[in-house]
Amino acid sequence: MALGAAEAFADLDEVAAPRTTAWLQGLLPIRNQAIHSMENGREVYTLLDTQGPIPEENQTIYQCVGDLFVYHKPAIFVEPVWPRHVRTFLVIGFIYERDSAIRGMSGPLATNIVGRITHGMDALAHEAPRMRKEGFGEITISVL
Amino acid sequence: MRKLVFELEGIQAIAELHDDTVPDTCDAVWEILPVEGMSIHANWASREIMLHLQGDKILRLPPEGPSSHGIVAPGDIVYFWRAPQMSRGKQLAYSSEFERELSEFAIFYGEPSGLGLAASDPARGADPTLQVTPLFATLTDLPADFMNKCEEIRHKGLKRLVVKRYEE
Repeated sequence: MALGAAEAFADLDEVAAPRTTAWLQGLLPIRNQAIHSMENGREVYTLLDTQGPIPEENQTIYQCVGDLFVYHKPAIFVEPVWPRHVRTFLVIGFIYERDSAIRGMSGPLATNIVGRITHGMDALAHEAPRMRKEGFGEITISVL
Repeated sequence: MRKLVFELEGIQAIAELHDDTVPDTCDAVWEILPVEGMSIHANWASREIMLHLQGDKILRLPPEGPSSHGIVAPGDIVYFWRAPQMSRGKQLAYSSEFERELSEFAIFYGEPSGLGLAASDPARGADPTLQVTPLFATLTDLPADFMNKCEEIRHKGLKRLVVKRYEE
């Protein structure tokens, strides 16, 4: 993974999330605009070029720093107004600092954990705040 | 009724102070104006930008008015103070002064306002001595250009915000 100037590596959890990780690998490589969460705390995500579907697999509402996850984010947290015929966007993201959790419109939102960032977490945790101040660039995710 | 001007990169929006419900807070805010600085987008409370008060502009105000207004709407402006030991994480996006203590204006500019993780934060919201959040002003209208500038902060980074007294 790369966020701006930061590079990181994640292990896919093919045991706990075999179908979601297989589906995700079919989408990679991804190169897209990175976006900082406005509602979940220290979360960075990007939109996927598909709406899925994704299986309900290896889900949790208790995301941890370093978790890599996919989920359907309410569209109003992405666009300034509700799109006419779209209510959610499928996204892939991660949390880089504590006190963060994925929320829906009325409470916690379950996410599929697809992997775990094993190297470069500190670099991501410094690059994301820098981008909050200076502007967000791209995120790339590819299979090593 | 006293009014304020919020000017974000040259785009203005006018707000009315809530002198009737939080007069002491309004007086304190009025006294430190004009205030300016780089505004940053919220990441817990949805469509909100923040102007951190720093140096001699820091306000440390007691609670006033309805203690649980809770819900905010687009255009609402909240004075926000939080004790330094209650910060979330390392606060690397903010100045070192902010890392110690949060004193800010929170400007809610669109839907959803106040929705997100900030809406359920018992660790910080339960004790009124640790967090003070009176709603002290509301924009009389929300110009589309102003809203767009606020939204841009999410993606393009900090923008200069000036808050001053409105002179008719």
